[in-house]
Amino acid sequence: MSQPAQRIGLFICHCGRNIADTVDVEDLARVFREEGELTVVEHYTYLCSDPGQNLILNAIKSKRLDGVVIASCSPILHEETFRAVAEAGGMNKYKVDIANIREQCSWVHDRTPETTNKAESIIRASIAKVRHSQQLQPIKSPVVKRALVIGAGVAGIQAALDIATAGIEVVLVEKNPSIGGHMAQLSETFPTFDCSQCILTPKMVEASRNPLISLYTYSEVEQVSGSMGDFHVKIREKPRYVYTDKCTSCGDCTRVCPVVVPSEFDMGLQSRKAIYIPFPQAVPAVYTLDVDNCLGLFPLACGKCRDACGAKAINYDMKPKIFEEHVGAIVVATGFDLYPMNNLGEYGYDKIADVIDGLYFERLVSASGPTLGVVRRPSDGKIPKEIVFIQCAGSREPERHKGYCSKICCMYTAKQAMLYQRRVPGGQSYIFYIDVRAGGRDYEEFYRRALDEGVIYIRGKVSKVYQEDGKIVVRGADTLAGGPVEVKADMVVLATAMEPSRGIKDTAHKLGIQCTADGWVREIHPKLRPVEAVTPGIYLAGTAQGPKDIPETVAQASGAASKVIGLLSRSEITKDPLVAVVEEEHCVGCKMCLMQCPFSAREWVEDRHVAVVNAVLCEGCGVCAAGCPSGATTQAGFTNQQIYAQLAALLYESPGMIHRTLGINDPIRPDEIAVNETDTEPVKALK
Amino acid sequence: MKVGYYPGCTLKGKAKSLDDTTMLAVRLLGNELVEIPDWTCCGATTPLTETKIANLIAQTRLLAKTRDAGYEGLVTTCPFCFSTLKRANKSLRDDSLKRRRMNTYLAEDQRLRDYEIPKPAWEEYSGQVKVLHMLEWLRDEIGFEYISRAVRRPLSDLRVAPFYGCQLLRPSEDLALCDPENPVILEDFLRVIGADTLDFPARIDCCGSYLSIAKPSAALRASFRILDAARRLGADAIIVTCPLCFYNLDSAQPRMLAEFADFRTIPVLYFTQLLAFALGSPMELLGLDSHTVDPKPVLMKIKRTAGVEP
Repeated sequence: MSQPAQRIGLFICHCGRNIADTVDVEDLARVFREEGELTVVEHYTYLCSDPGQNLILNAIKSKRLDGVVIASCSPILHEETFRAVAEAGGMNKYKVDIANIREQCSWVHDRTPETTNKAESIIRASIAKVRHSQQLQPIKSPVVKRALVIGAGVAGIQAALDIATAGIEVVLVEKNPSIGGHMAQLSETFPTFDCSQCILTPKMVEASRNPLISLYTYSEVEQVSGSMGDFHVKIREKPRYVYTDKCTSCGDCTRVCPVVVPSEFDMGLQSRKAIYIPFPQAVPAVYTLDVDNCLGLFPLACGKCRDACGAKAINYDMKPKIFEEHVGAIVVATGFDLYPMNNLGEYGYDKIADVIDGLYFERLVSASGPTLGVVRRPSDGKIPKEIVFIQCAGSREPERHKGYCSKICCMYTAKQAMLYQRRVPGGQSYIFYIDVRAGGRDYEEFYRRALDEGVIYIRGKVSKVYQEDGKIVVRGADTLAGGPVEVKADMVVLATAMEPSRGIKDTAHKLGIQCTADGWVREIHPKLRPVEAVTPGIYLAGTAQGPKDIPETVAQASGAASKVIGLLSRSEITKDPLVAVVEEEHCVGCKMCLMQCPFSAREWVEDRHVAVVNAVLCEGCGVCAAGCPSGATTQAGFTNQQIYAQLAALLYESPGMIHRTLGINDPIRPDEIAVNETDTEPVKALK
Repeated sequence: MKVGYYPGCTLKGKAKSLDDTTMLAVRLLGNELVEIPDWTCCGATTPLTETKIANLIAQTRLLAKTRDAGYEGLVTTCPFCFSTLKRANKSLRDDSLKRRRMNTYLAEDQRLRDYEIPKPAWEEYSGQVKVLHMLEWLRDEIGFEYISRAVRRPLSDLRVAPFYGCQLLRPSEDLALCDPENPVILEDFLRVIGADTLDFPARIDCCGSYLSIAKPSAALRASFRILDAARRLGADAIIVTCPLCFYNLDSAQPRMLAEFADFRTIPVLYFTQLLAFALGSPMELLGLDSHTVDPKPVLMKIKRTAGVEP
């Protein structure tokens, strides 16, 4: 153990006015200066700026500091920044501690003496921690030059292709039988009306043909362990009951299959068989046997498809397979699902067959869809003469549904209305909207075009949808005209909210990444690090992170890919040494830690009869350090000595705090004195 | 669950038939509801006031009294009472400040009442009593299954339009009875007693509420739209739960005849009247004479076809 730090510097940041407005920064500096325990006490407007960093650097050099406390924002934001400054000054960078007086103090309290007292306590705890800190050296570990991409919609495909371009092998996992995601279901795309399939399917084929991309379709990530640069991933492939290498996609099996079920890809507009290919352009172009709907894998019960298959590609005895992959980085591109329409009672979805959602309508207008692009309503196949589109169905309604804006609906509704009016001469579309949000290049122009093409926009919310005399009556408010409005339509299309893909919670849990309250995968910093998950080595692409349109999704996927390439181009990575440490002579070999460790980072050494730490796998969660009955395990950077010292510091009530609470230090302003004098004037006069 | 019954002021006056048929139907179901002792006003519109004491005091006192009488639940038929009591109960459960304020006030109030000897000790009330609407009680405690077996006069020839109004459903996060945009409980109930239940688009519209006093013409238009929608669907009757809905929909019909050329009258019934009738009660006990639009001809239709004598 190294000597306790004796020459400590304290630097308090104003964070503009974020901290200084609430915490009396100058008073804090005064208190610590007067105490005289610290070598340097400074405060500055922005410590993270260049002059701020220089202030720290110069102090470290000139005063030969061996410990630094920065009282500023959360360590998530700038711990790395200030560690780098310390290193540049020749100090051990793990002797820097961040006292978080912004997120945990100034932002959550009002300007009162107690707030400054709390900031003082937080700083004192930090000083105590630094005083007992050790000289630590970063852990170096090799990087596995392979990447995993979870989800093969347009985001996953783009990320995989970009990573492969750099010569890095990619494992691309998709839970559905075909790659392509939701984009494969779309008709034309805004704002240019280019066909979605035409721009996506070449990429799908490219992804499947690229020798550097290993494709796992109908597969899910089962387990993830390890850390940045060195992840071990188990992938579970669901049985297709069809050999992908033998299937020639001739379709003989589908023709004889007696089971008819609604097609998921066509949103139930069309049926499929129990053995099926989701859509003609599917990649891989092989059939899948849907075991939930199959009459049974027992050949005596049916077995027609196996008999019909000339290529002998069908095997009813297939079992799920587990594949193990070793990768250095992971991209999460799990996409979105639509908010279920049956949550939206006021729009009559469960009662009226011709109330559909946007994705359903995409299939109706798609040239490759079940109606070959002719807009026919689901109930009787008639061509609707009037369609009402309802925007924000479930979005922007925090009380009952989703509070956020789903972002893409304004544009795709305008597109759908135009497509419909072009396909159906004399057809009229109405759009109920709250606001038209057309932010993006050519988007506002696109909306104008919809207006020019005769789409009627009604500003207001729909209160109810019901059937009367063979029409669907849509009643709502027209907030511009200021009155109720009623439209009688033949079909209603709901622009339902986007929500994170159903399995995201499970996936996030396996990966150890965080989600927002709405379930979107959280990035480490919304502005400056938008494609990185909070866990190092994991990156985000597409709508898993929040509602996005196609251009934005593709841009983010390329961004994530470039981050992956950046990481995997290094020969080794360094890791903070804030991991569990074992004093082997104290270890009694009880193996408690082996059971407790969530990362499988504790390893048993039989000949020495001790449990050691695999520092590369250790995430530094502290479970084993807290649980070790003999006290052999400690946590570097969080030793018992440090924690007790921090606690003692937190419980200490300094004279500065007492004075502040009592208001003793409040300077008396000269103008106040003047007021008091005039107050006493009448008394003087009386005398 | 042992429940007390709270009728509320309207059910002892203008909506007497609602109270009477509630008690009648419950008796016909082989059960009994007893009014809680010494009940007072439910608070009515005081929850809308800004004063911190008056907006909760009547409800708290009532609910505490219910608890003191040994009941776990409180059943109301009037949606206004249901709304004020259930919302107050939730406030007392969730908001510690309001709970403390109310209990402090009531304990003090109790202490000041010298005439009550012996003075009972005030026991803190924190929202333990479960507030139920009659429909909820019928569904969850009696059981729709049981009711369907008790029906003696199937109403399959009666085309009824269920009408919810507002107080039963909103604010939905407090009342938590049904999805306010797509409620089902009244339809489920009507199907259980065998009525031909219509999918009624106007079922959650506004009946005009207190505008019938402040601006009668607006209230008249609102209730006309509801009645007209029911007529166009071919409904025989509109089924309501609320005395104010009943008032707006029923008693205004003569004026509608004068104002709207194509208007035709349609009877309005309380759900308890229909329940008692389905359970075999004679028509004379349903309090139908107080209705402006006579529902007897519509109910006679059932009597003939179902073959059950009154």
